[in-house]
Amino acid sequence: MNLIEMNSICKSYRNIGFETKVLKDVTLHIKEGDYVGIIGPSGAGKSTLMAIMGCLAQPTSGEYILDGEQVGKLNDRKLSRVRNEKIGFVFQAFHLLPGVSALENVTLPLVYAKNPPGNIKERARELLAKVGLEHRLHHTPGQLSGGEQQRVTIARSLISDPRIILADEPTGNLDSKNGIETMKTFDSLVKEGKTIILITHDQEVAQHAGRIISILDGQIASDSEVNHEAQTRSL
Amino acid sequence: MNIFSSLGIAIKALRAHKARTFLASLGILIGIASVIIMVAIGKGSQQEVMDVIAGMGENLITVNAGEMKRRGGRLRLTGNVTTLTVRDANRIMDEIGEVERVAPFEQKSMTAKFGNNSAETTIAGSTIDFPIVRDYKLKSGDVFSERDVKTANRVAVIGMTAVKNLFGEEDPLGQVIKVHFMPYKIIGVFEPKGVDTNGLDQDDLVLIPLSTYMRRIANQTFITRIFVKASSRKNIAKASKKIHELLRENHKLTDDRNDDFTLVSQLDIEEMKKETTEMFTKLIVGVAGISLLVGGIGILAVMLISVKERTREIGIRRAVGATRKDIVRQFLYESLIIGFLGGGLGVALGVGLTLGLTHWGNWTLILDLNSIWVASWACAGIGVLFGVFPAIKASKLDPMVALTTE
Ligand SMILES: Nc1ncnc2c1ncn2[C@@H]1O[C@H](COP(=O)(O)OP(=O)(O)OP(=O)(O)O)[C@@H](O)[C@H]1O
Ligand SMILES: [Mg+2]
Repeated sequence: MNLIEMNSICKSYRNIGFETKVLKDVTLHIKEGDYVGIIGPSGAGKSTLMAIMGCLAQPTSGEYILDGEQVGKLNDRKLSRVRNEKIGFVFQAFHLLPGVSALENVTLPLVYAKNPPGNIKERARELLAKVGLEHRLHHTPGQLSGGEQQRVTIARSLISDPRIILADEPTGNLDSKNGIETMKTFDSLVKEGKTIILITHDQEVAQHAGRIISILDGQIASDSEVNHEAQTRSL
Repeated sequence: MNIFSSLGIAIKALRAHKARTFLASLGILIGIASVIIMVAIGKGSQQEVMDVIAGMGENLITVNAGEMKRRGGRLRLTGNVTTLTVRDANRIMDEIGEVERVAPFEQKSMTAKFGNNSAETTIAGSTIDFPIVRDYKLKSGDVFSERDVKTANRVAVIGMTAVKNLFGEEDPLGQVIKVHFMPYKIIGVFEPKGVDTNGLDQDDLVLIPLSTYMRRIANQTFITRIFVKASSRKNIAKASKKIHELLRENHKLTDDRNDDFTLVSQLDIEEMKKETTEMFTKLIVGVAGISLLVGGIGILAVMLISVKERTREIGIRRAVGATRKDIVRQFLYESLIIGFLGGGLGVALGVGLTLGLTHWGNWTLILDLNSIWVASWACAGIGVLFGVFPAIKASKLDPMVALTTE
C-alpha cells in the first residue's frame, strides 16, 4: 500500500497582479519504508512539494492521500495530529523557536502530543547526543551555529518517533563529518522501517536514497530506482 | 494539549517581553485605578451630603411659609405670606402622633454688638425644642428655659461663628451683647455644626426665645418657618401628609386654592441630592468605560504587534502539531494575563490611593467593593474581547505561509 499518494497535484501562489505556478500536475506514489531523494535546481518547487506532503499547505488542485486518508477532507484538529504524530520535519531554514533552549526546542512537538511519553527530557537529551550536541543542551538557537541549529532540527523531527521524515537539505549547513553522521542516522531510521523523503542538491547525499526523483520547473522530470550494487561495483 | 501548558507558554512569552507586557497592562491599570478612586470619591461625597442632611436634624420636616418654587436647582420662597403662625406649630405638635417635637422659627440678618466689636449675624427666634429638632449641641452654658420663653427674657444662645466675630478669643458666657440697642445676655454656646445643604453657615447664629424675638425684633404675629421632628424616619412621609392636611384646614384653603406653605422633608432633600449624585455616577461610568476602552485598545495593539512579530513562531508550533485552538488559547491567555495583571495592579493602586487619601489627606473616600468586583470582571472581559481578534487572526494562517512570513 502507498503511504503517500499524490495525484495531479498543482500549486500556484496568487499574488497581487501575478500568479506563480509552482507545481504543475505532480503525480507521485511513495510506499511505506521508502527512502526517496528529491533533487532539482533551486526554485524548482521541492520545498513546496514537501510542504504539501507534510500538510503544511494545501494544493491548489489535485488529490493527496496520506496513509489512506484524503488530506483535503481532514479538519484542522486531524491535520494537526497528522503533523504531530506521523511526520517529522527538518526545515531548510531550521525554524527553531527563538530564545528557547535546544532541549526545549526538541521537546516542542510533545507539548502538543495527545499522549506524550513520560521521559520527555531524557529522550530529547538522547536525540541531541545522537546528533552530537550533548554539550549544547541549554543554548538558544541564537547561540548555536548554523550546522548546530540544523542538528537540533533533526533531533526535533525524531522526538515523536514519526513514520515519515521530511528533510529539506538536512546536510546543507554541515561539514562532511557531521553530514556523514546525519546520513548514517537516516540510513538506520530506514532500517527501522521509517519512510524518508530527503531533498538535496548533493548528488552524493542523494545516492543514499533508494529512489531519486528529480523535479524540474514544477514537474517530475525523472523518477528512478538506485541500483546500490551497480554503484558499489563502479567505485 | 491542556490548559496548564497553554498557560505556561503564555506566561513564558510574556516574561520574555516584560516591558511590552507592562505597557500593555498600563492602560487597564490606570483605567481600573481611576474607576476605583472615582467611585470612592463619589461615594464619599454622597456620604458627606447625607451627613450634612442628617446634621440639619434627624427626621426633619421644614414647613416654610409661602409657596416654594424651584429656580436654578434651588427652592425659593415666593411672595410675602403672613398666614403661618405659632398656633399652626402648636396644633402640629398636639394633633399629629407622628410628630415628636416642633420648633416655630423666625430669623433676620442683623448687626450684633459687643463692646466695640460689631458683626452682621443671624438673629433667630425659636422655642426650647429648636436645638433638639435641628440637632444643635451645647458646647457650654444652657439653652433658655420655658420661663425665659414665657416671659420673653432677653437671653441668647450663640453659634461659634458669631462667637468668633464678636468675642474673638474671649469667653462669651455671661457677657451681654446688643442687638438693635437692646441688651441680651449670653447663656449658652453651641458646638460648631458647619454648613447646611445650601452651603450656609449654621454657626453664624444668635438664638433667642421666639417670644422675645416677636416682641423686640420683628413685632409681628406670623412666622416664616416651623421645624418639625418626626418620631422616626419611617414616619416622615406620614407626618408630612398629616401636616399638609392640617395646615390646609387651619388656613381654610378650599379645594381649588394653592397651598400657602411648603413642606420640605429630609427625604425630599435626599431625593434632590440623589439626582446630583446619580448624574455624577453616570459621569463616572462614562469616564470609566472610556478609560477601560483605551486600556483594551492598548492590549489590542500590543497583541496585534505580538502576533505579527511571532508569525513564524506560530508557523513552527503549527508545523509540529499545534491546532488552531491551541494557538488561539495561547494568545488569549496572554491577553487575559495582561488584563488581570493590569487589573490587579490597578486594584492595588486604586485601593492604595483611596486608603492613603482617606488616611493622610483630608478626603472623604469610601471604598466600594462592588466597583472592585466589577472592575476585575471588566479586566477579564477586556482581555478576552481585545485578545480574541488577534488570536483568531494568528490561527487562521496556513502553517507554511506563517513559516515563510518575513
Ligand atoms: N509565497 C509565494 N508566493 C509566490 N511565489 C512563491 C511563494 N513561495 C514560493 N514561491 C515560488 O515557488 C518556487 C518554488 O519554491 P520552492 O521553495 O519550492 O523551491 P525549491 O525547489 O525548494 O528551491 P531551493 O532549492 O532553492 O530551496 C520559487 O520560484 C518561488 O519563487
Ligand atoms: Mg527549498
